[in-house]
Amino acid sequence: MNVSIQPALKSLQTAALIVVVAVVGIFIGYFIDFLVTDSPEVSAPEQPIAFSHKIHAGDNDIPCQYCHTEARRSPSAGVPSVNKCMGCHNEVATESPLIRQVSEYWENKEPIPWVKVHDLPDFVHFTHKRHVQAGIACQTCHGPVETMDKIAVHSRNNEGPTLLASSTGEIMNSETSDVGATQNDHWEMGLCLNCHKQHDVVDGKAVRVDEGGFDNGLDCWTCHK
Amino acid sequence: MPNIDRRDFIKLVGAGGVGVGAGVVLRESIKHPREHLIPHVLAPEDYSSGVATWYNSVCSMCSAGCGISVRTREGRAKKIEGNPSHAVNQGRLCALGQAGLQVLYNPDRLTGPLLQSADRGADGFTQITWEDGLTRVASQLDVLRAAGRGNRIALLTRGVGGHLAELLESFAEGVGTNRLFHYDYAHPHALYAANERFFGEQQLPYYDLSNTRHLLSFGADYLAGWLSPVHHSLGFANSRHGGDNRGYFVQIEPRMSPSGAAADEWVPAKPGTEGILALGLAHHIVASGHYDGDDIDEWKGVLSAYTLEKVAEETDVSESVLQRLAESFANASPSLAIGGDGAANNSNGVDTLVAINALNYLAGNVGTAGGVVFNPNPAGATSHDHQANYRTLAQLAASARNGDIDVLILNDANPVFTMPLASEFKAALARIPFIVSLSSFIDETSALANVVLPSHTYLESWGDAFPEHGMGFSIGAVSQPVIAPLYDTKATGDIVLDLARRTGNPMPWDSLEDCIKDGWNKIYQRNASDTQTDSFESFWRALLKAGVWGEKNHRSNDSFRPNASAIANIGVDVPVFSGDAEVYPFVLQPFLSTMHDGRAANLPWMQELPDVMTSVVYGSWVEMNPKTAENLGLAEGDLVDVESTEGSVRAPILVYPAIRPDVIAMPIGQGHSNYGRYASNRGTNPLEILSPLVDESSGNLASNATRVKVVATGKHIEIVKTSGKSRDLGRDIVQTTGGSDHTAQTNSIPIMVIPT
Repeated sequence: MNVSIQPALKSLQTAALIVVVAVVGIFIGYFIDFLVTDSPEVSAPEQPIAFSHKIHAGDNDIPCQYCHTEARRSPSAGVPSVNKCMGCHNEVATESPLIRQVSEYWENKEPIPWVKVHDLPDFVHFTHKRHVQAGIACQTCHGPVETMDKIAVHSRNNEGPTLLASSTGEIMNSETSDVGATQNDHWEMGLCLNCHKQHDVVDGKAVRVDEGGFDNGLDCWTCHK
Repeated sequence: MPNIDRRDFIKLVGAGGVGVGAGVVLRESIKHPREHLIPHVLAPEDYSSGVATWYNSVCSMCSAGCGISVRTREGRAKKIEGNPSHAVNQGRLCALGQAGLQVLYNPDRLTGPLLQSADRGADGFTQITWEDGLTRVASQLDVLRAAGRGNRIALLTRGVGGHLAELLESFAEGVGTNRLFHYDYAHPHALYAANERFFGEQQLPYYDLSNTRHLLSFGADYLAGWLSPVHHSLGFANSRHGGDNRGYFVQIEPRMSPSGAAADEWVPAKPGTEGILALGLAHHIVASGHYDGDDIDEWKGVLSAYTLEKVAEETDVSESVLQRLAESFANASPSLAIGGDGAANNSNGVDTLVAINALNYLAGNVGTAGGVVFNPNPAGATSHDHQANYRTLAQLAASARNGDIDVLILNDANPVFTMPLASEFKAALARIPFIVSLSSFIDETSALANVVLPSHTYLESWGDAFPEHGMGFSIGAVSQPVIAPLYDTKATGDIVLDLARRTGNPMPWDSLEDCIKDGWNKIYQRNASDTQTDSFESFWRALLKAGVWGEKNHRSNDSFRPNASAIANIGVDVPVFSGDAEVYPFVLQPFLSTMHDGRAANLPWMQELPDVMTSVVYGSWVEMNPKTAENLGLAEGDLVDVESTEGSVRAPILVYPAIRPDVIAMPIGQGHSNYGRYASNRGTNPLEILSPLVDESSGNLASNATRVKVVATGKHIEIVKTSGKSRDLGRDIVQTTGGSDHTAQTNSIPIMVIPT
C-alpha cells in the first residue's frame, strides 16, 4: 500500500508558519506601542489646564519652591493647592481664558486633576527633601522646566545646558552637563546611579568628586526599600 | 516553499493581526499606568503631604490612661505608639492600645444617626439627620424635666474621666436626675472598698512594683489586665533586672495567668482562699517577731485563728511553703503585696484585699518606695465616683422593671454583654420606653435603642484623663483629635451640650473643647507658678505638644496607722460558691482576655492575637487540668457544655497544665450576638452563666464564685492556635538555664566599661 504523508506535512508547515507570523506580530505590536506611547504627545501629555512653566518659572522668574513648597520638607515635591493659584490670580491676568478655568475649579471647590508626568515606579524610594536640601537643582532631573510651555520628561539624548547647584547652594550653569548624563533612556536607574557615583555629600551638600561617590549612595537599599 | 492558497493566506493575515494586537496589549499591561496629581483645593495648615505628623493624645481602650503618640499622614492616622513623656507608659503601649486604629477605621462603625423603625432589638435602623435625632431625644428629656420627673432619666456610660465626667455630671443635674452611672466590667470596686476600709483612702494608692524586691500578687494579673498593665510591665522589668538585688515575684492564683507565668513562683491556692492565705502569712510575721509595732497585741488577737496549720488546710498550700513565703516577704525590703482579679471577685473579695493591705502594713510596706504609696488627690475627675457595681446595676434593672425609668441614655457601655443572664438586664431594658445610645457601634445594648446618635471615636474627639491608680503624684493628660472626623458623628460631650441647650438648660460652654480648655485653665491658675509659662495659651500649647502634665504634689507617706476598728474587723470568711459541690464539681474562673471585657472583640488584630498562655486565636475555650480531663475522658477540642445553675455555654476543651484540678477557666470577650462582623457569632460568653452572687461589702459581682459541671457533647472541633504543643517534649527547642546558672555566668563575664 502506498501512503503519502504529504498532506499531513503540508498542514504542519502551515501551522508552523502561522505561529511564526503571530510571534513576529507580537514583537511588532510591542514595538508599535513603544513608538506610539513614548512619542512626545504622550511623554508631554495634555493637562486639564494648559499651564505654562515657561511663563511662570521662566518669564516671571518665580522660584520653583514658591509653588512646590513641599520639595524641601517632604519626599514629594507637592502640587500647589488651587487656593495657591488663586492667591496670585485673584489679581493677575484674571480675564485670561485659562485663568477663568482655574477660577472655575476654585469656585466649585474642586481640585485640578493634573496628569503626572514625572513618575517613578512604586519600587523606587525617592525623596525630594534630601536632594533639594543637598543643593541639587530641580533642573538636574526635571530638565529646563523654565523653558517648557508644556511639561515633558526631559530626554538626555538631546542634551541642553544643565543647571547644577554648587556646594554653596548657589545655582550655576554647568555647560559640561555631566550630571546624570547617560546614553540610556531617561528616568531609569542610570540617571540616579551616574549622579550618585560622581558626587559626595559634604556638610549636607552634594559635591562633585572625580571618583568614588558617597559610601551608601550606591547601596541597593538607598532607593529600593 | 509550500504553496499558499487563499485560505492559508487569510489564516496568516489573521495570525499576524492577532499577534500585533497581543504585542500592544502585552506592553500596555506591563507599563506603569498614567497617574494623576490631585492637589488640595485649600492647603491644610497642619501637615505637609508626604511628611508624618505626630499628635500626642490619650488611649481610651481601657481605663489605665496611657499616653499615646499617633502618627498621621495626609490627615489619616497610621500608627499608635506610646508617648515617651507620659509617666504611666513611658513610650510603651499594649496590643489593645495599638489596635485603637481599628476602632477608628472599623467597617462596622456607625456613620450617622439612626432611628429604629421596627421593633426594638430588630434590625430596623434607618438613617436620620442629626437635627431629627437630637429633637426626638430632647423632646423626651424636656417633657420629663419640665414635669420635675427628671429622675426618670438614667445615664449609663462606659467609665470616662476628666472634664467629660464633670460635664455628664452637670448634665444629669440639669435634667434633674441622680441616675448617672459609669460602668466598666473590670472596675476594681473591691480594691476601692478595701482601701477605704483599711487605709481610709477614697482613692487607689500607687503600687510601686518598680522598686519592690519581693512581690506577692494574690490573683492580680498585673502584666495583662490589672489596673495599669503597661506601667506594671515596666515596673516588673525594672525590678527584675536589678542585678544582685533582683526582685522575687510570687503569684498566688488557682489558674496561671501571664503574670503567674512570669513569676518566680506560682502558688495555686484554693480559689477564694487568697485572703486566708494572706492572714496566715500575717500571723506568721507577727508571731515570729517580724512586727514590733505598739499595736502588736491587737494584731495578735485578730490573727490568732490563722495559724499556719489551719491556713494550710484551708488553702491547700503546705505549711512549709507558707512559712517560707512569710519569712521571705518579711525579710525583703521593700516588699509589696497586691491583690485583684481572681482574688477580688469572690464573696469575700473586700475582706481578702483588706487582709492584703494588712500584710503590707505588718511588713512595713506602707508609704515606702517599693511598697504602697498614697496618691495626692487627682487633679481632675476619675470615673470611680459614679462607677456602678453589680448591685447598683441590678437596682437600675429593678427600677426599670417597676416602670420608674422613662429614658435611658447609653454611652458606649455594654452591660447586656457583661451582666450575667440571671440579672435579666436585657429584659429590664425592654421595659424602658425610650433608649438613646451614643455608641460608635451597634453592640448588644445599643441594639435595643430607639435612637442612636453615634459619637466620635477617642481619636477624633477632645477629652482628658487623670489615671486612677496615680503615680504617687497626680498626672493628667489631654486627649486631642488626631484626625478630622471620618463620618457624620459628634463628640459625646458635644451631643450632651446640645441636648442641654435644647432642654432649656444650657451649660456655660459652646463645645466639649471649650469645656476641657476651661477645666485646664483652672488647673493652670492653680499651678501657674510651676508651669514656667506666661499665659494659659502658651501652657495649653505646651500641654498639647507634650501630651501630659504632672503636678508637684507628692504626699508624705510615713505616718499611716490603721485605727483599732480597722484592725478588729480583719478576718476572711471561707468563700461562698453557688451550686452544690456534688453536682457542680468545678469552680469557673472567667478571666479577661486579649478582648478585654469584650469591647475589643470587633478588632481583627485582637482576634488574631494569640492568647498569651495558650496561643489560641479567634475563639473560646475551656481550660482544664490534664488530670481532670483524663478522668472525664476529654481531650483538646472536645466540645463540652459548661453548666451552672443559671445556664450553660458550649466551648472546646483545652488541656492546660497550670490550673488546679478543681477549677476550670474561660476567657471573657467572645460570644457576641451583635457588635459587628468580626465579633458576632464567634466563641461563647462565660459571663452569661455566672450566678448573681455579690460580695456584700462592695456590691461587686463575685464572678469567680460560680460552680459548674462539664458535660461532654461527643462533638469535636479543632482549636485554632499557633503552637502545636505547649511542651518541649525533650526536643530541646527552647533551651533554658536556671537562675543560679545565670548568675554564675554573668558574674564570670567581664563587664564592658564604657570610658567616660
